[in-house]
Amino acid sequence: MADSKLKFLVVDDFSTMRRIVRNLLKELGYTNVDEAEDGAVALQKLNAGQFDFVVTDWNMPNMDGLTLLQTIRRTPQLKHLPVLMITAEAKKENIIAAAQAGASGYIVKPFTAGTLAEKLEKIFEKLGKSASA
Amino acid sequence: MSEFAGMEDLLQDFLIEAGDLLSGVDNKLVDLERSPGDQGLLNDIFRGFHTIKGGAGFLNASAMVTLCHLTESLFDRLRNGETAVTPETMDVILAATGAVRDMFGEMERGVMPHPADPALLAGLQAAISGEAATGAPAGPSGTAPALPAGGGAEPDWQLLLGAVTNTPVPSREAAAPVVVEAGASPDKIIAAAIGRRATDMPGATGPVGRRDNERQRDNSIRVDTARLDQVLNLSGEIGLTKNRLNALRSDILSGRNDAETLHALDVAVSQLDLLVSDLQNAVMKTRMQPIGRLFQKYPRIARDLARNLGKDVELVLAGEETEIDKTMIEDLSDPIIHLIRNAVDHGVESATERVAAGKPVKSNVRLEARQEGDHIVIMVSDDGRGMDADRLRAKAVSKGLISDEEASTMDERQSFNLIFLPGFSTAEQVSDVSGRGVGMDVVRTNIQKLNGQIEIRSQQGKGTTLIISLPLTLAILPVLLVRLGEQPFAVPLSMVREILPIDVSMVQDVGGRATMVVRGDVLPILPLSGLLGWPQERVPEYGVLMQTAEMSFVLAIDSFAGREDAVIKSLDDFRPKGVAGVTTLSNGQIVLILDMKELLGTTPGIPRSALIKRVAPEEVAVVG
Repeated sequence: MADSKLKFLVVDDFSTMRRIVRNLLKELGYTNVDEAEDGAVALQKLNAGQFDFVVTDWNMPNMDGLTLLQTIRRTPQLKHLPVLMITAEAKKENIIAAAQAGASGYIVKPFTAGTLAEKLEKIFEKLGKSASA
Repeated sequence: MSEFAGMEDLLQDFLIEAGDLLSGVDNKLVDLERSPGDQGLLNDIFRGFHTIKGGAGFLNASAMVTLCHLTESLFDRLRNGETAVTPETMDVILAATGAVRDMFGEMERGVMPHPADPALLAGLQAAISGEAATGAPAGPSGTAPALPAGGGAEPDWQLLLGAVTNTPVPSREAAAPVVVEAGASPDKIIAAAIGRRATDMPGATGPVGRRDNERQRDNSIRVDTARLDQVLNLSGEIGLTKNRLNALRSDILSGRNDAETLHALDVAVSQLDLLVSDLQNAVMKTRMQPIGRLFQKYPRIARDLARNLGKDVELVLAGEETEIDKTMIEDLSDPIIHLIRNAVDHGVESATERVAAGKPVKSNVRLEARQEGDHIVIMVSDDGRGMDADRLRAKAVSKGLISDEEASTMDERQSFNLIFLPGFSTAEQVSDVSGRGVGMDVVRTNIQKLNGQIEIRSQQGKGTTLIISLPLTLAILPVLLVRLGEQPFAVPLSMVREILPIDVSMVQDVGGRATMVVRGDVLPILPLSGLLGWPQERVPEYGVLMQTAEMSFVLAIDSFAGREDAVIKSLDDFRPKGVAGVTTLSNGQIVLILDMKELLGTTPGIPRSALIKRVAPEEVAVVG
């Protein structure tokens, strides 16, 4: 059921982590994945290419995930993009901040392909609803 | 059997990247000690631990997650100004990075890291909760079971997340609770803080200088994609040129050999020539890594060492961007540690001595790399007391390494080189820092294995500099081709100083050995045939003036066949004495590359005679 044509952007400053996320996405059948090492690079790529989904870490140099999310929501041609935030923290402030900034979902490290699939499904479900509404 | 089965690739990536990250953190900690309030540093260090924690979580290394989480929490408080950086917190933080490094070591060996020393965890807790007992940062309960949960007042994050984001509660598998191991000694913390184990000493690792458990790291390399693209590009170009040549071949085979066709052939072949050498360079570049990656870990080592010895030393790095072959980076790690230890321990004086000598109390040890032509030069210099040639000679005599007569004929340079003798250590008392005299000879052996040289410059009262010079790469060796009769041999061009004709009338007998005078220096003549154990069939016509670290000599040969950049093929299982490898000449002929040091018999741990006498003991069959 995974739409392999969906193009993902995985944003993390730690390349090992990008690889982990990429592999998990692959396990779920999403093979069209690009990577960016921080929010600034991510924005460049998002503006240049047709991406359908952003999975971003929170804590990064140059531009962090929250700022990236806020910028995406402020940018007319990007604001519709689903953004899944990944972080090692499950702090209340963080979750609220992410939710307020318009995160489509929030996932705490470490996670399994199963957890990721569940999150993605939830997000797609919501998207589908809002699209048909 | 590895406890990371199925995750080996991930583990390798993690170890390399997290290892670099931790070295960066170590360096920033040294900086932080000098400017404790620096917000940028605090943020960077926080992020370092945070990132390592995240990666460790995916590898199920819960002990590492716990430790990193605590350290990260501490830095969160530090950067928010809730706690100040004190010497005590620095100690516990440094101990924590040491413990994380040890855990990397365990993971390299395929072992799940064991829980950190409870005393260390307690120290971190104390540092976190020390100033403000309330509001201790609460961590993800699944991954940091050792952390106090902050009482029952803590809200349920997961429910909250679900409520706020309208997503299901994440199903986090609880990590195995950390078993607190009682009775670990504080020595362990100290050892961890210093970040070195007994096996870090070059002497303890054997002459190869590479630990078996490091193998896991050796096989992968990080390459800039731009460089890989260049390789790809060039291979494509070569493919096109090959097609062109194929077409020309058909033309020529079908009888076209007019000037135009031949010219096209000439152009295509020269183009291929250019492309292949470009490709070789490009491929070599993929193996080159900035030496800064290696240098990164030394400021911390120097700092810990100096502190242990009660000295104030700053390690200054320069030339970190210098690029060097990856294999060499790994093999240089231990020798440089040793040189830095020596500089801090033996080179730099105690504070009182420095004041008495009118020097600032704080001393600088400089670690520098730069490229000089086709060589990389690495220097470790201190502004300490310098080396005392008389004392070195006296020491060597008293240790029975050289005789009185030998000592009296030595110049300063030769005296300095005494420290490379096995069993030589000038420390009056063996300190636990610099080792037990197993160091410098191993250092030199390891450098020589990389086709490098090490040299000492020292001035009493001013300081000492150790200079390592290395070839840019081990893969391609410029060689001089010499002939014995019709048989060519290759000798490394780096050792060749000049080529001169051997005028039989100029050959003199000194002490029963054939020698000749070259610009005032009396040099022994060693015929290649003699070194190889071949019969000397005719009087050699040419001499190659060669220089090794220990001696200069004239290698007598029959004739030359030119010079070449040899691509070394090693003889894996079969290695005759004195043969470093083989290479193929442009005409397809296979040529042995000679290992001159081995041929000369100056194998690792050179005998003292070779060090002080300028004449090697080989018999010479030159007609005098």
